[in-house]
Amino acid sequence: MYYIQAISSISNQDSFRNDDLYTSLRDFNTEHDVVAPDYKEFIPRNSLRRLSPILRMGLTCAIESKNVVGKDFDAIVVGTALGCLKDTEKFLNTFITSTSDFLSPTAFIQSTHNTIGGQISLGLNNHAYNMTHTQNNLSFEVSLIDAILCIKDGKTNVLVGAAEEKIAFLELVQPKLISDIYPLASGASFFTLSEKQQNSTVAIQAVETNFNSKHTDREISSFLERENVTLENSDLVFTSGNSLNVAGSSLNTINYLKYSGLHYSASAFATHVAHDFLKNNNAKYALVINDLCKGNLGLILLKKG
Amino acid sequence: MKIYITGYGLISAIGIGEEETLASLRASRSGITVGKKDETRAFKVGEVALSNDELKDRFHLATDGSRTALLGMVAAKQAFNGHVLLDDVRTGLISGTSVGGMDISEKEYRNYLNNEDHKPENYLHHSSGITSSQIAQELGIDGFINTISTACSSAANALMMGARMIRSGMLDRVIVGGTDSMTSFTISGFKSLMIFDDDWCKPFDKSRKGLNLGEGAGFIVLESEKSLEITKKIPLALLSGWSNASDAFHQTASSPDGDGAKLSMIEALNVAGLDPSDIDYINAHGTATPNNDLSESHAIKSIFQNVIPPFSSTKAFTGHTLAASGGIEAVFAVLAINKGLLLPNLNFSEAIEETKLTPQLAFEEGKTINHVLSNSFGFGGNNSTVILSKV
Repeated sequence: MYYIQAISSISNQDSFRNDDLYTSLRDFNTEHDVVAPDYKEFIPRNSLRRLSPILRMGLTCAIESKNVVGKDFDAIVVGTALGCLKDTEKFLNTFITSTSDFLSPTAFIQSTHNTIGGQISLGLNNHAYNMTHTQNNLSFEVSLIDAILCIKDGKTNVLVGAAEEKIAFLELVQPKLISDIYPLASGASFFTLSEKQQNSTVAIQAVETNFNSKHTDREISSFLERENVTLENSDLVFTSGNSLNVAGSSLNTINYLKYSGLHYSASAFATHVAHDFLKNNNAKYALVINDLCKGNLGLILLKKG
Repeated sequence: MKIYITGYGLISAIGIGEEETLASLRASRSGITVGKKDETRAFKVGEVALSNDELKDRFHLATDGSRTALLGMVAAKQAFNGHVLLDDVRTGLISGTSVGGMDISEKEYRNYLNNEDHKPENYLHHSSGITSSQIAQELGIDGFINTISTACSSAANALMMGARMIRSGMLDRVIVGGTDSMTSFTISGFKSLMIFDDDWCKPFDKSRKGLNLGEGAGFIVLESEKSLEITKKIPLALLSGWSNASDAFHQTASSPDGDGAKLSMIEALNVAGLDPSDIDYINAHGTATPNNDLSESHAIKSIFQNVIPPFSSTKAFTGHTLAASGGIEAVFAVLAINKGLLLPNLNFSEAIEETKLTPQLAFEEGKTINHVLSNSFGFGGNNSTVILSKV
């Protein structure tokens, strides 16, 4: 069991410092990308100016998580499929259009995927293990696997999360690259995990990735069988509504993309909602199914108590 | 639990595969030349001579992809040569890359800006994760696929992730390493940081001015004991130690004393159960930037005190291959262990005043090399160390 000690999310929903995101879920709001907290509360004004939305979100969630748990993380693991898109596009524009021999390096420096983790280490003055995983729609799941390995290696207070950033250009190319049923959005969700339960009420019991998925119900039931759970006694099943037909039964299902909007790490948002559902309801198991991309299946099982 | 290395492959400016690479190393022949492409012509770079089509033809690559993916396929196929996929050996691939398919995206984005024929479907090759999926597909691997992107320490971190997954029993065998191709994006980026040397780079030299960029890929195959019993492969070396630590000093610069570097070297020695005096050769990160080499020198002196083992940076051979460097240098470490090599640090003439360290200058063969420590440091203060050992 990997107990969730703290969660911090910034998303299209009012998720930041929200203890019951499940109950407060509303239809996706096209008026804004995310409901952002007041970043000045977390990041000094002079740094804030330079930071892109994904860095602001990641750093703020990490600082908030640290404030909640009150002790230094001994590992920091970040997942992101597309990384710091705003700075990447900015630097592309700069070097393609500039005729000058002198370019500002800021956007280049902040374009690498691990700028999020690097900024967290700087912001928290943290010298611990600092890892960045990027594996398309399973970036959060592989990060969770690393976080679990960290706990098996003896780490006691592990920060793990995922973040994605929407840019306008992505909307332009969306129809060619990924489903355009759902609006694109940004989002970041970070979790603090430990092996000791402490005050936690919900744990991540198991995570599985499948890179050769045929998207069958059998793949899901085999995973659950290994964990001594059945689909029927999963109190709530979160799906990305792509191909799996689990909704055919009497199961309680939620298509989380309707609330988070579409981004490759939306399963991290769903994990936050699943946690709040279990914590505040008479329920035991929740399952997050991530089949956003063909062939790739992510499964996260959460358990109360 | 021991983590066995049972295969290796590499491609860089000094050669494709072991034979060509060793010939260059023996002759102290750098692969860094004046660039031969439009975007590299103004620089000294370590380019792989073959074009994308030549790579596909010569190595019979069935999977399409960015140059980063193609270079990765060449090195990973070499590493996996002689291995077969088996149902009872859970096999994965973990690759490090920093640019992913940027070589394709930057051309497409230029078309977009210039209102020329813009094909958004080409961005399907963009993501770093896709790069690894394509390499895995070329090898037929689907047990586990992951990509680490921590800039220049990516491949070293991929080695570490693979070792930890084997140790925990999640995988039996895993191909680990990294790949990066030369892109206008990275060339312009490092130029904007003003850390290029217009001349050949001089790692650990007093007058070093900066780095030369390179491209390439390096992969090794890791196996558990249980896997070896089934695959019957003969282990070539061990991955005995690994660590990652944060410098937490600056987004791009290293701390003056190399705090993160010290932490990662100490912890890697702990994981390996070794003392500093056990290390026979250090393959340094040694990018030849004024900041890295001074900081790394301080860190090495702090760990190894008065008995500093032979050390060198091989970046003056290959150029700095960014996310691939830890993979290519891991293959160098396997070669060093198996052939008793000490690899020369090219272009050195005078030691850095503050630290007075002189690296290994000559190519030597037939030494006893039991343990090699290899450093890889990346932007974001991401410091990694791996230790490879004799079986």
